Amino acid sequence: MWEQITALFTVGLFQNTIRNATPVILAALGGLFTEHAGIMNIGMEGMILGGAFVAVVFSFTFASAPMGVLFAVLIGIIIGLFFALFVVKLKSDEFIIGMTLNTFSAGLTVYLLRTVFHQTGSWVSTDIKGLPPIDIPVIKDIPLLGDILSGYSIFVYISWVLVFLVWVFLYRTPYGFWMRASGEHPEALETAGIDPVKMKVLSSVLCGIFCGLSGAHLALGYLNCFAEGMSASRGFIAFACVVFGMANPPKVFGAALLFGFLQALAIRLQSVGIPSDLTEAVPYLATVLMLVYITVRSANKKRNRAKKAMAVQAAEEG
Amino acid sequence: MQDSIIKFENITMQFPGVLANDNVSFDIKQGEVFALVGENGAGKSTLMNVLYGINTPTAGNVYIKGKKMEKFHPSEAIACGVGMVHQHFMLVPSFTVAQNIALSKEPRKSKIFYDLKAAEKATSDLVEDYGLVVDPKAVVEEISVGLQQRVEILKTLYRGADILILDEPTAVLTPQETEELFDVIRRIVKEKNMTVIIITHKLNEVMAISDRVGVMRKGKLVGVENTKDVNERILASMMVGRDVLLGKVNKTGTPGDVKIEVKDLHVTDNRGLLAVKGVDLNVRAGEILGVAAIEGNGQSELLEAITGLRDIEAGEVYIEGTKINGMDPGQIRHLGLAHIPEDRIATGVSVQSDITDNLIIGKETRPEFSKYKLQLKKSTIVRYANEIFEKFDMRGAGVDTKVGSLSGGNMQKVVVAREFSFNTPVLIIAQPTRGVDVGAIEFIHQCIIDKRNEGCAIILVSADLDEVFRLSDRIITMYEGKITGEFAEGEIDKMGISYYMTGDRSNEAGGEA
Amino acid sequence: MKFLNKIDKKYVLTLIICIFVALLCGAFIMLATGFNPIEAYATIIEGAIGKPRLLGNTIEKFMTLCLLGLATAIGAKGGLFNVGGEGQLFFGALASTMVGLTLSSLPAPIVILLAFLTAVVVGGFYAWIPAMLKVKLNVSEIITTIMLNTVAIKVVTYLVNGPWVSSSPAVSKGTDYLPDKLAFTKLIAASNLSTGFIFGAILTFLIWYFMKMTTVGLQMKLTGENPRFARFSGLKSDKIMVGSMVASGAICGFVGMTLVYGYNGQMVDTISSDYYFDGMLVAMIMNYNPIGIVIMSVFFAILNTGANMIDMTMGISSQIYDIIFSVLIFLMAANKGFIEWFNQSQAKKKARAIAKEKAGKEGI
Repeated sequence: MWEQITALFTVGLFQNTIRNATPVILAALGGLFTEHAGIMNIGMEGMILGGAFVAVVFSFTFASAPMGVLFAVLIGIIIGLFFALFVVKLKSDEFIIGMTLNTFSAGLTVYLLRTVFHQTGSWVSTDIKGLPPIDIPVIKDIPLLGDILSGYSIFVYISWVLVFLVWVFLYRTPYGFWMRASGEHPEALETAGIDPVKMKVLSSVLCGIFCGLSGAHLALGYLNCFAEGMSASRGFIAFACVVFGMANPPKVFGAALLFGFLQALAIRLQSVGIPSDLTEAVPYLATVLMLVYITVRSANKKRNRAKKAMAVQAAEEG
Repeated sequence: MQDSIIKFENITMQFPGVLANDNVSFDIKQGEVFALVGENGAGKSTLMNVLYGINTPTAGNVYIKGKKMEKFHPSEAIACGVGMVHQHFMLVPSFTVAQNIALSKEPRKSKIFYDLKAAEKATSDLVEDYGLVVDPKAVVEEISVGLQQRVEILKTLYRGADILILDEPTAVLTPQETEELFDVIRRIVKEKNMTVIIITHKLNEVMAISDRVGVMRKGKLVGVENTKDVNERILASMMVGRDVLLGKVNKTGTPGDVKIEVKDLHVTDNRGLLAVKGVDLNVRAGEILGVAAIEGNGQSELLEAITGLRDIEAGEVYIEGTKINGMDPGQIRHLGLAHIPEDRIATGVSVQSDITDNLIIGKETRPEFSKYKLQLKKSTIVRYANEIFEKFDMRGAGVDTKVGSLSGGNMQKVVVAREFSFNTPVLIIAQPTRGVDVGAIEFIHQCIIDKRNEGCAIILVSADLDEVFRLSDRIITMYEGKITGEFAEGEIDKMGISYYMTGDRSNEAGGEA
Repeated sequence: MKFLNKIDKKYVLTLIICIFVALLCGAFIMLATGFNPIEAYATIIEGAIGKPRLLGNTIEKFMTLCLLGLATAIGAKGGLFNVGGEGQLFFGALASTMVGLTLSSLPAPIVILLAFLTAVVVGGFYAWIPAMLKVKLNVSEIITTIMLNTVAIKVVTYLVNGPWVSSSPAVSKGTDYLPDKLAFTKLIAASNLSTGFIFGAILTFLIWYFMKMTTVGLQMKLTGENPRFARFSGLKSDKIMVGSMVASGAICGFVGMTLVYGYNGQMVDTISSDYYFDGMLVAMIMNYNPIGIVIMSVFFAILNTGANMIDMTMGISSQIYDIIFSVLIFLMAANKGFIEWFNQSQAKKKARAIAKEKAGKEGI
């Protein structure tokens, strides 16, 4: 039994982990912005799908992957602005808008796919140019590690860099502080002279861009195709990562890797008798438990602080 | 002769339904500590919000350092050197002290990066310079309230404020912290030539720290005096003035058995600090005990504890002889208590439902209104609602009107009608006529008197002294969680009692002759 | 007639306008992709009610949407958002199917009753968990229910294709088919419409009755509107909130059962494709008003079934349904926002006018 389990840990497992995690990482990074700005965005699913579709359409039209990516980013900006208009300006319930965005995106992409491009199910074509894999010199020659770290599509590496950049943005630039303030205490930001609404809109647009990239990578990163519903709940997993990782970039990155690992493991565990569906359910269950833990811990902290304050008060008033 | 650094000229501030500032004009001199006093609703905070640019005045002008304020926005006020520390702090909980202070004016590295070290250094420089000790690296949500307030002050100093507005700063401080704050104020005024405006209702503090004091009442400026020319009694009387009292009421009967008993009650507020610090009181049947206190002195928490909306930290409360510690509101009501809450919109009604629903809740399972406690007898309920509607002279469309669209007076009538129709022997009433028109005030007062004459034991908490004096048989004053005075009917007047509401007089020997 | 006075006329008018605009958007998209919208909408109507079989499908779809919308409404009225209805539906469907398969030797009415109880209890229990987490620990029920949804669907998928999969070679996936005696009788031959509809209609009526005409319904409504006021008035607001969520889950469980017993015959992992979310969104834009939910469900059922027809006969992808559906929701959401913004600016104007008047009177 033990040998069977260790046998699962192949290079392939880690490669799959990274491949699974990358679109989730990109979307989750986007979700970080909205989360910090105080918006619960469950519409990432729709944003990713939109990005994927647009990436394929324009890669096809211009026979160029970079064009596909560019337009995916553009559609991400548009979707982000749209989302912000409803949630921030019109004060609609962010939950309704998010869920509806998912339905709208799924519906529109399939409709256009079938009606305009006359494809059903999935669209594969040599004219859809994909993003090339990158072999990193030197690293690729390291035994084992080289296989795990080199040879991925460019966005895998971009996503790693982005984790760092997002962290820098949130914790080392004033704009990141403003964005976090706009979610945590918008009045404090406003009385300091900065409009929290602008920061919330920005967070939404950034989320749109990142989800657009996620979709572009999904479509053009390996198989160079668009398949109906290809986002396959990645938007929800990304949301789970944001919650599980407490909206902290490295933790969210870790969560995405963990969930990607579980996903890759699921198929392999099937062979030792553990059903893949159950393994795939673990991330979601874990997120619920983590949320309970976070909520209870924060409530306890508050209570302890209050107790301390009362003790000080009692000591002073004798 | 000191120069004026701030000038208010005919400031009027009109909100929907309430005139918060009524043609206010006065000036504040450079380098002084100016106290702005008044009861709740006097308009002090509103006026300062105009100075800080949060409110745009409906009429009038503001001059800062001789220049007229054209645009009303905090950034404009900050640019003129005005800094404000609000009652509710504007601090981002997860940021450090330095990060909160530097918010929106962060020092940069290569234009886009935040130079955190420079922010920390700027903070520690300020700390040293002004003597306001606080750790720049501490996370704001983990430090004490007194320290948080220091951070707020440092924030204004960081932006180059030389005019500091403090809105009820000592409301959240312990006595020790208050002393420390006053030391700071004295120092910055003397050494840095700053001007400090302090909004407060605590007259002892006014006497301790201010050079001049302005008194506001019901939106108007009553007067500005040099602090050394007045004392607390004079200020107290200025705060309440000689408004015409409403007519006398007809009280009958004599007090009966004790229905409400409170023993050494201690209650904490939402921050976890003690708001009620050892209160004892009794109320008999057929008697109204009035509680005169300015908002924020523990009276809200007192009533919430008695009615089960807040936990009791220590001490006991008895309603009709039964100890109610640990009971929830439903159980306490069952003992024979009804409650008119101080915030009708938040606690007293559901604004999305109609008058009928709001009137019937609490009685819906009674046999006359429901079959088998389940099926609502709709027509009976509507008939009942219409009866009450007539009886309480409610004006408006009808019992199917949404309560949220009612006027303040009519909404309060809904609350009074519902609570009084439970016919309970004990009534807890808070701010019954706040925001209510004169006609409705008269009506509600008569209802309360009728209940008293019927033999109910009533606690009446109100910031409206006219109301307290008109209705109460006995009056107690509360200040900072303690009872500071107890008076029988006729023993004291409005101006005298204001003195007891604005300081802890419980240690003073007797009263003035 | 008095009932008509109670309807918020402004709301109904804006709803009709939004529906019209949404249909217009749909028409525009169809036009832009080379189809005749008028022909399309005519075909949709025909495809929904043209033949008895199609009418049956439409009615069944209507009932499903309506009940799921009401399930959302009960939870929301009580103050909690049940986003996990899909998962509760799945568990309810599975549990009732397994009861039916294991106890198939017993008389049909007994089995069906037991299956019903199982579906309701299982669905209710699965909703009870996030409700307790919210009420006792203040954990966001929106997030927990979303996550638990996926957990439920995956667990059911596993069970239905794994240990409880049908052993019959004729069945490609999913559980065994329920014995014929347990299947609900079809009301319209060859359609999805079965006597499950009658149960559903009774349940709809009961839900409406409960919400509008009972003491508990009134208590629930007030708890959802203002929990502090509810507690102040002596209501046990915690119990009411949990109860409303459990009721919501129970209804979803029941709907799951009707999907299997009513027309599918077996439990599969595709028993529902986001039906709960459709119902939920309908409930949300109708402000959780039961009558409104019923009416809108009719509209969307027609659109849904009809969309399948235009897909087959005209080649217009049935996804146009999702598109029109989402556009309508966006419009309703935007509408709410506009009204709020409008009210606020009116209030500000009023304040300014009053001040001017006063200033004029006092001769300033």
